[in-house]
Amino acid sequence: MLSPTPSFLLEKRGKYLTFPLKLFWRKLRGATCFPVDLKCISSCFVSLAVFGRAVHAMARVSDEFCFDPIDKGLALRSVNSSRSAYAYVFFSSMFFQHYCCTAAPQPCQKERQLSLACKLIIKSVLPIFRCVNMLERHVEKCNIYTNAKDHHITFQLLCRNGIVKTHNLAFQECDPLQAVFAKHLCPNVLRAHSRLLADIMVHFPTSQEEVTLSVTPTRVCFKSYTEENTDFPKTMVTEIQLNPDEFDFFQVGVDSEVTFCLRELRGLLAFSEATSVSVSIHFDTPGKPVAFSIEDVVLEASFILATLSDSRSEMASQEPACFSQMQESSKTCTDKSIDKDGGAEAAASKKPRWNRQAQNTVSGAPASPLAKQVRSVPTVSYRDTAGTGGTAATKADDRAVLEAESPYHKVRTLPITFTFYDRTVTYLRWHLEAAHYTQSQSSEVISPHVLFHISHSCDLHFPVPFVVLWSSFF
Amino acid sequence: MRFRAKIVDLACLNHFSRVINTIAKLAKTCTLRLTVNKLYFILSDRVANGGVSMWCELCQGNFFDEFQMEGVAADHNEIYLELMPENLSRALKTAQNAKAVKIKLTNKHSPCLKVAVELPSLSSSSRIVTHDIPVRVIPRRLWNDFREPVVPDFDVSIYLPVLKTMKSIVERMKNLSNYIVIEANLSGEMNLKIETDVVSVTTHFKDLGNPPWASEDGCQSSAQGRDLQSMAEVRIDIKKLQQLLVGQQVNPTKALCNIVSKRIAHFILLHEDVSLQYFIPALA
Repeated sequence: MLSPTPSFLLEKRGKYLTFPLKLFWRKLRGATCFPVDLKCISSCFVSLAVFGRAVHAMARVSDEFCFDPIDKGLALRSVNSSRSAYAYVFFSSMFFQHYCCTAAPQPCQKERQLSLACKLIIKSVLPIFRCVNMLERHVEKCNIYTNAKDHHITFQLLCRNGIVKTHNLAFQECDPLQAVFAKHLCPNVLRAHSRLLADIMVHFPTSQEEVTLSVTPTRVCFKSYTEENTDFPKTMVTEIQLNPDEFDFFQVGVDSEVTFCLRELRGLLAFSEATSVSVSIHFDTPGKPVAFSIEDVVLEASFILATLSDSRSEMASQEPACFSQMQESSKTCTDKSIDKDGGAEAAASKKPRWNRQAQNTVSGAPASPLAKQVRSVPTVSYRDTAGTGGTAATKADDRAVLEAESPYHKVRTLPITFTFYDRTVTYLRWHLEAAHYTQSQSSEVISPHVLFHISHSCDLHFPVPFVVLWSSFF
Repeated sequence: MRFRAKIVDLACLNHFSRVINTIAKLAKTCTLRLTVNKLYFILSDRVANGGVSMWCELCQGNFFDEFQMEGVAADHNEIYLELMPENLSRALKTAQNAKAVKIKLTNKHSPCLKVAVELPSLSSSSRIVTHDIPVRVIPRRLWNDFREPVVPDFDVSIYLPVLKTMKSIVERMKNLSNYIVIEANLSGEMNLKIETDVVSVTTHFKDLGNPPWASEDGCQSSAQGRDLQSMAEVRIDIKKLQQLLVGQQVNPTKALCNIVSKRIAHFILLHEDVSLQYFIPALA
């Protein structure tokens, strides 16, 4: 929800840039300034405390986090160093009293759609929100705005008695990482009020690192996990047994025992207590990640934690959650055409309009090895619905962070108008896949190939070489 | 060897938790001695402990609603366990509104004291929290190490001032020095002294009172012929004294200190159903 840009902001700050809509591209260079004002007033104690707790929750996961404002709201993301925990909190613009995140297009970069995501060190931000109780009592408003020219984010706390605390923090640009995890495909789902989970976790000592959650259709059990030799244990083992009745929602598709790191989770639990929203737990068999999420009208949060697999190897090395880069490195994406042979390049020059757009929006012609380079190999949470190429395009449209997405899909959209046989094509959308489809009527296509969607008609599949033919046709 | 006990009353549970918390502050590892009527928490005076020793006695009937114990043998109907009181303290910490707490000695893979807390919950069946505290069974041949300490032949015995006051003074003194001198006389006067190169601080207490000690065989103890004004002093590690004072959550009914000049300070803290004795040796 974009508020109209007040004119004074235009005077204060220089150039603006449009924000990305559907494609995820990293801003490479050029200054961006975007005013993002987040105001929490004193009659709204909840907001500032909630925001502070979100920062604390991020602090439990990693030393730095990504501050990523988009037009719909503000996203905070962090990943721990061993890639075994991912935290994501999203505040919609309605959470704030005033939220404005705009940027005007720069003339030279008309075609590029840019975004600005900032990486901040937690140690710098945490002191601002350190004492949440104090925040509620003393702070009346909090303004957050950025000045990307000198790479600073400013947190301004307007406190009682006219005191104004201004914190200017430097940031680094970063590529926000997004975890790919299909929550809806998890067979086991529990939902409980955050109070219940807090009451459970209080029984474990604060030094307890790992906890095992085991479920059967009749019983839920949280147990402290220790790697010690059980013949001579030195540490206390705590176990909590609960009746499934205690949960608001209880679904167990497969009996399983998942072990995850409690320390990182405590941040989310404290945060959810501040918001008093139910916490949902989605998990599967051991080894697959567990997702703790909360969802509200104005905010949503997810913590995805890796779990120990049955072989009991180290969590960190074994099963990192799958991350697909929201923004691919521009090094791997060249401005060449999609054809690896470069044949389309020649063809591209024949059609100037196509090419300019193609150059700007099309990724390099990756054969499957290159595609693999760009995407991290999904080991865990990759629930690719292979063979649903027809819906792949719509999935790419969906910017929901945690929806399933084949890691090999990179979707490019190109508005264009031409007729193909008897149909009018309004846009071309293509992506590359390493896997193959079985949807085409002809024999199975081995990778790689390109799928063309043509507006409201059937999907047509063309192997890459065919594209050469296609473009040369024009 | 069997042991089962159950606490149902919340007040008893709170009291027991407080005792355990006090013990946990005094010793990292201690010995739990179980007899038919009493529980003892014992810390013997080994060099590892810095020479301090502790003897805490509880009457089981005052805390437990059910208490069943079978010792190692018929003629030695006692159990000696070594455990970390911190674990027990933690297990009981979150049991403050429990329906019942059951303690049982088990030996599944290794000997454990299993504390099962039944907590009320919104659903039909209660929530059960189980804590398995690892323990070590002390064999009979080592039982002699854990005998009840005798009251030493003290020079002065004096009641302690209000523990809260004493605690805050000792805490401030701790910042200045590692050692503290306690001196007292039979006129109810006590001084706490520290002395460093740059500063010396003394706190004087008056009118404390001296507890009457009846000697067993009628003959006078060494304290009897003593000059009422002369001070007996002992120099001890201030941290040990502070540990003792910090652990006291409830004011004891009687708190007194026996000083053996230059040898040992013996503290006795008596509550209604718990008695705690703490020995701090003098330092050179």
